[in-house]
Amino acid sequence: MSKTTNINGKEISIDVDESMPLLWFLRDELELTGTKYGCGIGSCAACTVHMNGQAIRSCLTPVSSVIGKKITTIEGLSEDGSHPLQKAWLANNVPQCGYCQAGQIMGAADFLSKNPSPKEQDVEAAMSAHICRCGTYQRIKKAVLDAAAEMQEA
Amino acid sequence: MNIHKVSRREFLKATGMTAGGMIMGVTLPVSLSAEDSESAFHPDVFIHIGENGDTTLYCGRAEMGQGISTALPAAVADELEADWSRVSVLQGDGDKKYGSQATGGSRSINEFFFPMRTAGAAMREMLVKAAAKSWGVSESDCYAELHYVHNKKNKKKIGYGELADEAGKLPLPKNPVLKTREQFRYIRKPLARHDQGEVVVGKRTYGIDTKIPGLKYAAIAHVPVFGGTLKSVDKTEAMKMKGVIDVVEVKPIKNPFSSVGGVAVVADNTWVAQQALKKLKIEWDPGANKIHNSKEYLEQLVKNVESPAEEIFKRGDVDKALKAAETTHSASYTGGYLSHSPMEPNASLAWVQDGSCEIWAATQNPQEIQKVVAQFLGRKEEDIVVHSTAAGGAFGRKSKCDYVHEAAAISKAAGVPVQLSWSREEDTRTGFYHSINAQHLEAGLDKDGNINAWLQRVAFPSIGSTFNPSQDRPNARDFRGPIAHPYGIANLKLESGHAPAHTRIGWYRAVYDIFYGFAVNVFTDELAQKSGMDTVKFLNNIYDNNKDSEMSSVVNRCRGVLNLAAEKGGWGRTMQENHGLGIAVHHSYRSFLAMLVHVETNGDDVKVHRVDCAVDCGLVLNPDIATAQMEGAVVMGLSLSLREDITFKDGAVVNSNYHDYPVLRHNEMPEVHVHFVDSPESPTGLGEPGVPTFAPALINAIYAASGKRHRSIPIKPMSV
Ligand code: FES
Ligand code: FES
Repeated sequence: MSKTTNINGKEISIDVDESMPLLWFLRDELELTGTKYGCGIGSCAACTVHMNGQAIRSCLTPVSSVIGKKITTIEGLSEDGSHPLQKAWLANNVPQCGYCQAGQIMGAADFLSKNPSPKEQDVEAAMSAHICRCGTYQRIKKAVLDAAAEMQEA
Repeated sequence: MNIHKVSRREFLKATGMTAGGMIMGVTLPVSLSAEDSESAFHPDVFIHIGENGDTTLYCGRAEMGQGISTALPAAVADELEADWSRVSVLQGDGDKKYGSQATGGSRSINEFFFPMRTAGAAMREMLVKAAAKSWGVSESDCYAELHYVHNKKNKKKIGYGELADEAGKLPLPKNPVLKTREQFRYIRKPLARHDQGEVVVGKRTYGIDTKIPGLKYAAIAHVPVFGGTLKSVDKTEAMKMKGVIDVVEVKPIKNPFSSVGGVAVVADNTWVAQQALKKLKIEWDPGANKIHNSKEYLEQLVKNVESPAEEIFKRGDVDKALKAAETTHSASYTGGYLSHSPMEPNASLAWVQDGSCEIWAATQNPQEIQKVVAQFLGRKEEDIVVHSTAAGGAFGRKSKCDYVHEAAAISKAAGVPVQLSWSREEDTRTGFYHSINAQHLEAGLDKDGNINAWLQRVAFPSIGSTFNPSQDRPNARDFRGPIAHPYGIANLKLESGHAPAHTRIGWYRAVYDIFYGFAVNVFTDELAQKSGMDTVKFLNNIYDNNKDSEMSSVVNRCRGVLNLAAEKGGWGRTMQENHGLGIAVHHSYRSFLAMLVHVETNGDDVKVHRVDCAVDCGLVLNPDIATAQMEGAVVMGLSLSLREDITFKDGAVVNSNYHDYPVLRHNEMPEVHVHFVDSPESPTGLGEPGVPTFAPALINAIYAASGKRHRSIPIKPMSV
């Protein structure tokens, strides 16, 4: 039996060196390029995906540790871009270059699942793992709070 | 005339696309002056209305997050009376047929605005005429609105799609009538950006994301010291790794944008390439620049500006005026090297074959890629096909195409299509850096607090040195800012200090204006204190006293933003202990900026609470994008004020990644408020001008809060 991991709902068999970080498995082997490389050392969070619902840095996560797990990437966060965070990101015109934003959204999704009604300072602290060189932080905060409010209502 | 009807044949030739309907081409004013003939018409933008009404702009200019792909289409759509949801933008490939494609200097918006509007208006008039003809009524009985031409008489309407073919056959109107500001539908409105939808679902394709069949991946290690060379490489261990295809030496070519030289591994995926790279045993010969240590170098620059240097510009008699002054003051200021460090590191895909060469890259200048790669391959520029992708940030770095040269060299040697991605470490250490710099200022004040004498000595390795290695100090061109400075002081002297380059220097968002804006504004704050005056009042005084009529517009606009920022940020109010306000004014790229910063200090800790930016960028095309640019400028400004500092030891950069080149994070983000001057002037750029005012406003605020006067940035350099 070959080893598999579930990525965005699909069973994927793992036929690479298992020490390869999930990031490169996603990007180069599966051509799921929504997950970004920024630093490779766990310092920018551009590569954030979910493993069994928890945010992880895919650049530091070897493929060996995702065997039998459920991975969600930005491409699988929602069927059609309708996750409250994705909508809030558009409503607030968050992205500039956009490169960091997949990681930001995946990080925010994990954060809101643990802290559904955050205060401003909570958002600031949690989202400080993520770098945005274009400087969209003010809008990210607003979008996370908006999404939290929408999820509360729903 | 810089708009032009384009035939289907011309359109096909230029874009490779077949199209019915109506096609217009728009050319930059600069492209026109270069080759002013019909046959040399190379539009920068094509506007196409298809038979189904879909309206598409084919744009050559690279998009780097400044929202140009929204602001300019909005200008067309507005005059065209198009339905915004029917308008889309396609990025063109690198080619002369798109006119100049270099992005930078905030030029894009300035140059395109009127031509784009004119093109939209011309198309609208042609559509109206076509409709009037089909109804057999006069044009004055018809009007265009949201993708339809309406008939006032019979209340009928025809869609643009239906009219496009006929309209395209009509002659181009001589003087299309533009809307007045009150009639604008999209301009000045916060329109949604066209390219955001794909970002939030991870579908936007950046340079690093391109895939083509048979693609292999490469990682590279560069010569650590600029000008150094490869002595030897042992690839035995690396080649043993599963998935490794080749090890390639990349040699520099004679071109300022060439690779610095390095060794690359080609493999089945980026990870294997990166691992194999670590197994190479490489010996470098560092060459002459191994003597470069940035700390000592900066100390030398300070010495060079604290003694007489080479005179660049003189007005009146500074020495005499200094002697006669009631009070004098002098101070020296410094700043370190900066790295652009966009989130997307340099990356490019190249596929070099015997008869063809195709390139994909995030770039600010696709035509430069054609030149450099053509030079490297010994082929013609037009044989190099460049697809420019979305850029994950650039800030000036991606106007240089060393990484593309490398991808081409690796693909050629390995005989496969190659995606080369630099590691963050290589990106940090192989830059075209913002100059390390030192300035010394001396001024004389009269008893009313007017500045009568101003001496400014400046030393920094110039961007010119990247092109002409013999340039060893800033030249007159590098002094354009200080020469045209709006203080208009009667006795002015500018001097250039010795500063030979030991690394590659490049354009960095706002370029020299960062340190000019810094030194001038901090020094001004110090002078205001010396004269016992409030800084805003002191500046207003200076502006009032500048009677040079040629400067009056510049002076008025500086005054406008100064007072707007002061008002909005509550200048002059009583502050709590350890809280302070600081202000700075600067104009660059034809836009005028003032920032007021509210800071709280606690020992060496600095917390920025709030920033009020006042902006005069002429007509604000899209306030939301303009605001985003200012937010970004504040982040970059705060980041470079606090910690960013590229350090050289023995010729090589010591920093490597975000842990030792820390850029600003969310927890330090201040609240940013942006205020626009309602200006009748034509629109000017916003990508760059926001950066220079932040650092001095911060430093002045820290002084107000704590009495501590910083004169060097960053104020908390990371020691590596
Ligand atoms: S790429 Fe994984 S944290 Fe930066
Ligand atoms: S939007 Fe460019 S890095 Fe975040």
